[in-house]
Amino acid sequence: MTISNAQPITGRLRLGFIFDAEIQKTRLNVYTQQPPLKVIRAFPISDGGALVHLHNVSGGVLGGDQLEVSVHVETNAYAQLTSTSATRIYRSQPHLPPATQTAEMVVEEGGLLEYLPDPIIPFAGSRYIQCSRIELAPNAGLFWWETLAPGRTACDEIFEYDLLHVDLDISAQGKPLAIERVRLAAPWQPSSLARLGIYRYISSFYICKVGLEATDWLRLEKELSTIAQQLTIPGEIYWGVSTLVAHGLVVRTLSRGGRDIASGLYAFWRAAKQALYQWEALLPRKLY
Amino acid sequence: MECFVLDCLQFLRLLQLTDSALPIGSTAHSFGLETLAVEGDLNVAQLESFLQDYLMEVARLEATFCRLGNRLASLTERDSLLLRWLELNNRLSAFKTARESRVASATLGRRFLQLVASLEDEPLLLEVQKAAKAHRADVHYSPAFGLVGGVLGVDETATVLAYLQQSLQNLIFTFQRLLPLGQSQASAMAWRLKPTLLTIADQSEELALHPENIAVFTPLPDLASMRHPTLMTRLFVS
Repeated sequence: MTISNAQPITGRLRLGFIFDAEIQKTRLNVYTQQPPLKVIRAFPISDGGALVHLHNVSGGVLGGDQLEVSVHVETNAYAQLTSTSATRIYRSQPHLPPATQTAEMVVEEGGLLEYLPDPIIPFAGSRYIQCSRIELAPNAGLFWWETLAPGRTACDEIFEYDLLHVDLDISAQGKPLAIERVRLAAPWQPSSLARLGIYRYISSFYICKVGLEATDWLRLEKELSTIAQQLTIPGEIYWGVSTLVAHGLVVRTLSRGGRDIASGLYAFWRAAKQALYQWEALLPRKLY
Repeated sequence: MECFVLDCLQFLRLLQLTDSALPIGSTAHSFGLETLAVEGDLNVAQLESFLQDYLMEVARLEATFCRLGNRLASLTERDSLLLRWLELNNRLSAFKTARESRVASATLGRRFLQLVASLEDEPLLLEVQKAAKAHRADVHYSPAFGLVGGVLGVDETATVLAYLQQSLQNLIFTFQRLLPLGQSQASAMAWRLKPTLLTIADQSEELALHPENIAVFTPLPDLASMRHPTLMTRLFVS
């Protein structure tokens, strides 16, 4: 069935995380929630953090949807955000504009944001634009991963989306640390060796802590590169680590299948969190 | 593609600045491509189509920054010029998430500016180096090349094309050392890729007007650059 007059939906979520010094815990403030974006509650996690699941109650991103997420992590607060499942980007009707999702994240001094969602799966015929901007204050920290699947591989949908834009800007005190500008539109040649080669999944994991010296990042790059070497299986999954221009590093992977990415990301998260915070990395719980 | 006029001196200077023998160390860097060749992902048969796609991504990004660098030379207000110079280089550093490639670009840019500043009595070339040093900012090769073109009064598109030509030559020279690529074969490849350079120069003009549309997607070469430090034997610094 085709609903020809389907109207685009605007979803908004504006969250604040505040550190309550008296009880040494982070509290969630929900300033705005407009479906299909919703949160239910914050779950306390170790080290005074608050875990929040970002729900899209429509079950995925539909053609023309305009979704806006804004998160403010206040001074010394610790927020962990995750999705409830993979973000499915549905086929878009031709008369609708591309679905968009913007995320504006601010981490204040001494704050920590962990953004650990499930993969994005753009279905055949989908059109999707995602823009994420993260601003970090002095001594703010960030663990941010994102995995992009080629499509519904079980249905043999491999790179059949019509349009995919993924923008990411991470900056510290106004200075850019990392910029990603991915603009893919049909027809494109993903298998070019200048792009993905034989691989289908791509994942980036940004790890930042503002104020740490370049030599410390090089040391961590070396440590994580050892893990990258161990996890790499030639022709199957390929990991690499590199320091950014300042205050952070990025772990990247290319993989033919999606199965081993999550466990690899976890291995890097665990090692980096231990090195930077001396805290244990515990995966966000998803079943209740 | 617009036409441009170069006077004889500009033409000769441009030839010198694009010469691979220019002592800035450009032949010491593969920007991670050594990993692709060594790990067997890339062979001679695939090279030309790889170069075409790689240029359309990476060289288009660099050509746009080269063009933007060239335009800075015409700014009369010095503080604004220096601020925009730093912003331009900071943005390019952020695009370059692979450390070795970023450092290579910054090393070449710094050496290039130092060399030209020693050849040409132009205070701006010293000021931009000083500003970058004071703000601990990188000086990347493509905006530095563009700025120098602008300072020497060379047409913007001519500067971009010269930059692209030397990039292509360096890439091909790199692969001649990494793969069984003969000289005639390499020359023919470079010859056939000229229209790609023209396309990129055209696209960079549009992108320089709308820098928000600048995009680059080269995950495999980026990962290769990140893995380059772990190669057992290396011919190249990056």
